[in-house]
Amino acid sequence: MVISPLGRKVLRDLRRLWAQALAIAAVLAAGVATMILGNGAYDALSDTRARYYADYRFADLTSDLVRAPLSLMDDIRAIDGVVQAEARIVKLGRPEIAGLVEPASLLLVSLSEKGGLNRLYLRAGRLPDPASMREVVVSQDFATAHRLTAGSRLDVVMNGKRRKLTVTGIALSPEFIYALGPGEMMPDPRRFGVAWLPREAMEAAYDLRGAFSNLVVRLAAGADAAKVIETLDRITARYGGGGATGREEQTSHAFLDAELKQLGAMVKVLPPTFLFVAAMLVHMTLSRLVTLEREQIGLLKAMGYTPARIASHYLEFVLVIAFAGVLAGFAAGAWLGAGLAQLYARFFSFPFLLFSRDPQVYGLAALVSLAAATGGALQALRGVLALPPAVAMQPPAPADYRHGLARLARGGPLRQTGRMVTRHLLRWPVRTATSLLGIAMAVAILVASLWSFGSIEKMIHVTFGLAEGQDVKLVLTAPSPARAVADARHMPGVMRAEPFRIALARLSFANLSDRAAAGVRSKRVAIEGRPHDAALSRVLSPDLVPMPMPQAGLILTEALADALAVRTGDRVHVAFLDGKRREVDVPVSGISLGYVGLGAAMEIGALNRALGEGAMVSGVNLVVDPAASGAFFAAGADAPNVGFLNVTALTVGRFRATLAENITMMVTVYVTLAGIISVGVVYNFSRIALSEQGRELASLRVLGFTRAEVAGVIFAELATVVLLAQPLGWMIGHGLGLAMVAAFSSDLYRVPFVMGREVYAIASLIVIAAAAASAVAIKGRIDRLDLIAVLKTRE
Amino acid sequence: MPTRDTVIQATGLTKLYRNGPVEVQALRGVDFAAKRGDFVVILGPSGSGKSTFLNILGGIDRATAGQVMFEGDDITTFAEADLTRYRRDHVGFVFQFYNLVPSLTALENVALVTEIATNPMRPDEALDLVGLISRRDHFPAQLSGGEQQRVAIARAIAKRPELLFCDEPTGALDSATGIMVLDALTEANRATGATTLIITHNAAIRDIADRTLRFADGRIVEEWVNPQRKRPDQVSW
Repeated sequence: MVISPLGRKVLRDLRRLWAQALAIAAVLAAGVATMILGNGAYDALSDTRARYYADYRFADLTSDLVRAPLSLMDDIRAIDGVVQAEARIVKLGRPEIAGLVEPASLLLVSLSEKGGLNRLYLRAGRLPDPASMREVVVSQDFATAHRLTAGSRLDVVMNGKRRKLTVTGIALSPEFIYALGPGEMMPDPRRFGVAWLPREAMEAAYDLRGAFSNLVVRLAAGADAAKVIETLDRITARYGGGGATGREEQTSHAFLDAELKQLGAMVKVLPPTFLFVAAMLVHMTLSRLVTLEREQIGLLKAMGYTPARIASHYLEFVLVIAFAGVLAGFAAGAWLGAGLAQLYARFFSFPFLLFSRDPQVYGLAALVSLAAATGGALQALRGVLALPPAVAMQPPAPADYRHGLARLARGGPLRQTGRMVTRHLLRWPVRTATSLLGIAMAVAILVASLWSFGSIEKMIHVTFGLAEGQDVKLVLTAPSPARAVADARHMPGVMRAEPFRIALARLSFANLSDRAAAGVRSKRVAIEGRPHDAALSRVLSPDLVPMPMPQAGLILTEALADALAVRTGDRVHVAFLDGKRREVDVPVSGISLGYVGLGAAMEIGALNRALGEGAMVSGVNLVVDPAASGAFFAAGADAPNVGFLNVTALTVGRFRATLAENITMMVTVYVTLAGIISVGVVYNFSRIALSEQGRELASLRVLGFTRAEVAGVIFAELATVVLLAQPLGWMIGHGLGLAMVAAFSSDLYRVPFVMGREVYAIASLIVIAAAAASAVAIKGRIDRLDLIAVLKTRE
Repeated sequence: MPTRDTVIQATGLTKLYRNGPVEVQALRGVDFAAKRGDFVVILGPSGSGKSTFLNILGGIDRATAGQVMFEGDDITTFAEADLTRYRRDHVGFVFQFYNLVPSLTALENVALVTEIATNPMRPDEALDLVGLISRRDHFPAQLSGGEQQRVAIARAIAKRPELLFCDEPTGALDSATGIMVLDALTEANRATGATTLIITHNAAIRDIADRTLRFADGRIVEEWVNPQRKRPDQVSW
């Protein structure tokens, strides 16, 4: 193959400028990779979920009841908009596993009929024989955590009785992609799992023959979910229906939504940042190349090459770099995507993951990157191509510092080298500003990712250090008379006990005063009743002061108050979904802090009065002597009325471990990305500064300046840009952080925004270290400046 | 022959450039000495070794063999840092293409050197010597070639160097401008007493020197002492 002379020049230019080309390609690759990763992961998660839901018929609505006759199903199926409805029995059991001392629970679900909803994906083994009373299928993560396989024995306490079951298979369900144990903040497959048993076995164990305790419904396309829920709630009310919920309130679905929301936010910020920086680098580098080759360009034009041909020569140079970046980005994106898919597979229980190599995403990433690079290049070429050949062949006039910002820096205490630095930076204000912005973006990316550490520590400190002071939260199987508190006090190791009452209710508020919030807003929440001066589980005000429970009113968390658009003093309508299903209007006495979920609190006596029940408790918060915790857990396991135990230490430990794993990966990725930007910008910036001032610097060396002093001129320029970029980066990062808080907060979580000085410091240190590494790479070139050649040639 | 007044002395100076398989003998054993205040013109065709000679004397290139004695030290044995020190304290350079820093004004270009020198004159004093005090606040882009070269001379002498080396200082200038530059150089030589070596292609310039050397093929082939120095305005080309 014959390569044209210009083609050969492209290759030689690339060989000569390989380091700069590599830096640009790396930044482009990062843009492409984040684009593919972000979009790919988003699509993977949402496509996989959608496909899983569709193929395994995930229900649209679900509702818990106390006990309803199966005959009620006919009424439910007749509701307008309901396509399919299925009665189930769902109960909490307790697995007994050798070596597992801590409390664990198993959600027991009756198997659906053939063609039913929430179908299981059988990973191994077989489904239980419908007639069998002892066969069970368990969820995959729980099975893995306890090495259960088809044929394993599993003892489960069901309704107070120990049953010896045999595992026939391992399964997954669209209902439990994200399987969270009751009262937990993070999935812990060792202490929580799901088990599916034949309906008959469940009926027998829970004495629900001909009845059901849970209902799942699939809606017709376009059906009005709110209307169906209303009808459904009316029908199930007399059977203890706790109110139907849609997918958005279903734990597993909502957690996936939160994850999708975060990915969406990432896709909006990261790829554009990298592509912008890459375009800027291409522009910077090519502008310099074209300036150096101005005479050659004039010569080519004089020889008869058209401006288009010459432009295409330089575009070839840029496109080679861009293609290399795009390909590297494809590879990195695919590799990181696979890594993220693995993380998802570990975190979410999917039977399959559709990580499609969507050519559209790849095509778009390539197109946008090539466009960014070409745009940067054309901008650089415009001026030179317009010059007549005769003018182009003459050397450019010396850089003129008479006009513009560069005139500044007269007088003052600066040394002459300081003036050189200042004026050179001001002479090309756009380049200086874009480089500054590039580095600021690297700082910002770090600030916006590192603040989460402080935020998590604050969440843990506030939630478990200030608010939830109990060691164990004991939740009873059903609300019980107050003597359950005395019973709990007599359990081994219990040093302190405080009752609480939980009542499900739908809170609604019709805002008449605020036009923007007009209309009736309503949320289904659990109202927690506490003693007036609760000392263990406390409600905190937004400034972290414990709030005593008011005699009559409700205290809402900020998230709930926002969701309902209510303020202190407003009266909300409370429709209880428990017990006598009373409806009352209650004043809002205060707004509290809360990071997890929507919450409402009342004084326990007031709550019981509102419910129209006597002194009932749903559970007890306990302080337990650590030395006696083994005996306590054993006693808890044997107590028939204990539903489950939440152990604060275990919750916190799991919370930390899960986040540590995710955040370590996230921070590694972000630090790498920020490093790529910093190195790319700083290296190119300094190479160009060196190229432009090489002659002056060599002159300085001849005049008797030491190597260190000469390097100091370039380093001072770099340092100025890098240091000025820091506060700007902090500001942008702060803004991004705030935007992330807004993007991440949902009904599930509210993330506190904690931006400490150490976040700025660490972000700056990382970027400065990357810049320093690039400076070291440049130092060798400064030391090797050819003094003689420079003096002998005209620029 | 070296005397008590000898400022710089080269003995058997040899330079061999190796570029891959090609060897170029740029200097073949050059002997030379100059006294304080000497004004020496060096002539010779391209490639005769005159620039290499000046560069080695000025400490910006290294000899392959031979000695260069300056104030009792052999600078060919100097480490990089010592050479830098030598240039900084003792040598002034003037180049064909001026090599001014474009981002600094005339005065600031001179101050660039006086800031690091041990016993410099004031920057405006140096500019005054070359007759450019009125242009002190102009940037190089605002100065003519001759003015730029005179700023370069002011910058070179502002440190009060013992040695002033000029490589083709008038090479890029027309005759009238060149004469003004030569004027500045003779004035600088007179005022500072710096031993001045000027490389040129222009034989007419030798009339203003104390001494003229002619280089050919890496050697000094002719040395000519001028009995009667002319003033720059008395020569023309």
